[in-house]
Amino acid sequence: MRVVKHTETNGRGRHECGSPEHRVHRRLFLQGSMASGLASVASFNGLFSIPALAEETKKQGKKCILLWLCGAPSQFEMWDPKPGTITGGPFGAISTSIPGIQISQLMPRCATIMDKLAVVRSMSTEPNEHFQGVDVLTRGEKPRPPFTRPILGSVVAQQLGQLDSPVPQFVLLDPCPEGNEFKSFKAGNWAGWLGAQYGPVRSGGEYSIPDILRPEALSEMDHEDRESLRKFLSRKFENDRRSEAAAGYNAAFERVQGLMSCAPLFDLEKLPQADRQRYGLGAFAQHALQARHLIENGSTFVMVANGMPWDNHVFQHEMHQMLVPELDNVLFQLITDLELRGMLQDTLVIAMGEFGRTPWLNEARGRDHYSKAWSLAMAGGGIRGGVVVGETDPLGFEITQNAIDNRRLFATIFKALGIDPQEQYDLPDLPTFHRVEGDAQPIQEILLG
Amino acid sequence: MPQSRTFESLPFLALVFTAGLLVPQCAHAQESEVTAGSTASITDMAVRIDREIAAGYSKHGIEPASLCSDEDFVRRVYLDLAGRIPTVVERASFIEDVSPDKRLACIDRLLASEDYVQNFTDTFDSILMGRGNRGKVAERKKLWRPYLENVFRNNRPWDQVAREILLARPDSPDQAGAVWYLFERQDNAQAIAEAVAPAFFGIRIDCAQCHDHMIASEIRQQHYWGLVAFFNRSKNQKTDAGPRIGESAIGGFSEFANIHGASSPNILTFYASKTVEEPRPEKDAKQEDIDELYQAPLPPNEPRVPKFSRRTKFVDEILSGHPMFAKAFVNRVWAQLMGRGIVHPFDQMDSMHDPSHPELLDGLANDFIATGYDVRNLIQGIVASRAYQLSSIRPQGVDDPALFAWSIERSLTAEQLARSIQIALQQRVENDHPMLPELRERMPDVMPETIVTDVGDTLFLANNPKMHQVILEGSQKDGLIARLALQADPKGAIDDLFIAILGRHPDDAESEAVLEFIQRSGTADSFEGKISRWQNVVWAVLTSAEFRFNH
Repeated sequence: MRVVKHTETNGRGRHECGSPEHRVHRRLFLQGSMASGLASVASFNGLFSIPALAEETKKQGKKCILLWLCGAPSQFEMWDPKPGTITGGPFGAISTSIPGIQISQLMPRCATIMDKLAVVRSMSTEPNEHFQGVDVLTRGEKPRPPFTRPILGSVVAQQLGQLDSPVPQFVLLDPCPEGNEFKSFKAGNWAGWLGAQYGPVRSGGEYSIPDILRPEALSEMDHEDRESLRKFLSRKFENDRRSEAAAGYNAAFERVQGLMSCAPLFDLEKLPQADRQRYGLGAFAQHALQARHLIENGSTFVMVANGMPWDNHVFQHEMHQMLVPELDNVLFQLITDLELRGMLQDTLVIAMGEFGRTPWLNEARGRDHYSKAWSLAMAGGGIRGGVVVGETDPLGFEITQNAIDNRRLFATIFKALGIDPQEQYDLPDLPTFHRVEGDAQPIQEILLG
Repeated sequence: MPQSRTFESLPFLALVFTAGLLVPQCAHAQESEVTAGSTASITDMAVRIDREIAAGYSKHGIEPASLCSDEDFVRRVYLDLAGRIPTVVERASFIEDVSPDKRLACIDRLLASEDYVQNFTDTFDSILMGRGNRGKVAERKKLWRPYLENVFRNNRPWDQVAREILLARPDSPDQAGAVWYLFERQDNAQAIAEAVAPAFFGIRIDCAQCHDHMIASEIRQQHYWGLVAFFNRSKNQKTDAGPRIGESAIGGFSEFANIHGASSPNILTFYASKTVEEPRPEKDAKQEDIDELYQAPLPPNEPRVPKFSRRTKFVDEILSGHPMFAKAFVNRVWAQLMGRGIVHPFDQMDSMHDPSHPELLDGLANDFIATGYDVRNLIQGIVASRAYQLSSIRPQGVDDPALFAWSIERSLTAEQLARSIQIALQQRVENDHPMLPELRERMPDVMPETIVTDVGDTLFLANNPKMHQVILEGSQKDGLIARLALQADPKGAIDDLFIAILGRHPDDAESEAVLEFIQRSGTADSFEGKISRWQNVVWAVLTSAEFRFNH
């Protein structure tokens, strides 16, 4: 087992923001001279006006898009249909491009790319409540207070991301400030013990980020200049007090300049109209398109959420009849686009929620929470398509074969991305934690190579 | 096995339905006055705190931080009690004061100030109404805010306040605003229940809606629906005297289903409470909403009050004397002043979250009750303790914040930030500053479980036009920036800068860095150039972590 020191990530000493402008500027500041050439070097009119930098940020490497189906979708209306049975609901099953594999009739487009998809029908996890479920399925492990395990996106960004890229490495797109448990989850500590600099940049709704543009009256030079002084003063406080709150605060400031240079990436209007139409005009679809765009331009992990619309305790069939076809199209467009661009083999796409739904209906014709037998799908980056893992009984109550828990799922995701699942965290004041606990083994059947 | 249940689609049945309509009529509200008699003095409380907290240090074999300096104390206590940093004059007069009990005197002065009233009104507005929800701004301003101001200005006993808010039958004009708590939730009894549980009892019951709490199993689904039932006969009414909350004498009986589909009646009960007996009509039995069910005589302009009023029952038999009521308040105020609750998070006081100092929590809650729920006395006791007055420099080898061995930093709330920026730049405060609404929306919640700074928060501080505007205003006549730019001696100006914004003198390295910054480049020769350099310096100090946090 490999042990990697994370000395730079103890929440105090940390990476500098490595954008070239900052480096130049910091040096100048320390020298105490405002070089006349600075303004031209630091021309931050937009990252992509600097071709060399643009290429630099698009470096090869594994990436990941997580379509986070918050609220928990029903396996019966998606990947594990039970047509004609008492639990199956009103929708049928259709054949796919892989003989012998059927999925819900609500997913005709995904049926045509089944050869790209790996479906797990035997997810079996513990928490049956949203907040705990979201926690376990985004972090891979249930909490052990007071230690907060970083969320998947933070781990992947830290492992595979280019921290010195101005393009945010971990982006969360979600238009909804509300969403009950998801709202409180969003208010929580994303990056956990890795430190706030690995938390996501969040955008959504108006398809941009508020205050991403500099006040017009302030020159670019002044904007960066005053930040250097701010940092100098603010760091002192952080170091004197060993303050994690101040460390997180300073880390967030480190990202301001880089993020500002990426403003065009967060402007959906800049994307081709035809693409926007093709994905569909809902926020979830538009954000999925934006995720593709961000990954193309150097982000490492993009999580696309949509409040928590999947929690259909009431009128399950009617709601899923609207939600599943949208997801079907989004997945199809995304996977097809990534393949056309030659990016699919390096980009892992995951579509999942925090658990599944009950085989039975409640009085409100809803399906309730069900964590002991549910499904999810993956494609691309390191994943073998055309495979179904696991099986449930004819009514979908129990798993009959190959139960997969959150640990094995995370081991699979990490392995697919080329990250060692068994690696040990070695951070100051932290007990022994592994990236995936319990020596859980990845699902070999769906891994390439 | 759960699959024995409902395979076929059952007819849709709302989980809660209200049978019967509410007809406006009037009745007297009845309320008993609690006489407040102070028996626990500020010193008793502070002594108790320091004894229990020190016991924690010895148990863990640690040395706490030293007592904080006067300049740290005056900033901290102004932020906590007055909701802003001190002015230059206020700071200086405290530092220069040589009397031995000046900290206590300062605490008393601040607790008697209007700043305290505004600050605690802001905080409790957030706690009770929620941060994200701005509600109906005009009505809140007209009704709710004056009510809260009155509560803190006159140091009203917390049990009476809670009763007025939850009974919502004002019997004097200065109680009229109390109805707004229920009124703004617009007859949504579930929203009311989910707000009442954390605000008044320190527990979260949201996830008990569908089943017993999964991890804190003492919080049961029947507590959720029971709490809802106490409010599900209530209905907003607009009267000539203003908004009122009516209540029907009938209806509000329903069944709730657990995740396995089994149904139970929504009887009037709550966590750690007895069950209020109420005759339950047969299913499908029609109830008649007749006048005899309501109290007589009916005063004009007020809603009528049922003889069996669920809200009255709630405040009399559930709220009054509830074992969590005093503890929840004490723990919340403690969290607000000390950076985390004795139970943390402060609104999850359940079996999953043990108190770090159980005797202290019990003792303070008993003191709070013994003093007649005296809010100011409680605050005084905490702030007068040594534990509150520790340095924020964390001692080596001590990492557990639950030991309260150093002063835990807290983010300034949006209101504290807006006021403190004004004090720093103008030495005066306008309560409804134009930047406040946006700050409220953008800055993290009051008392978050952990302090997390989103890059969005920093974008606001870096680029928001209103933030920029504040700096420009500080450059006008009398503003800090103008005064700094006019000063002939840059060293003196730098000292003034640090005193005005951070409440301390700069050290040599800081002084040098700022000096170099303002003397650099030719533009600094003109007055405009100087102003521009000082604007950048002031922005840098205002957005430093030291200003952002209370420490």
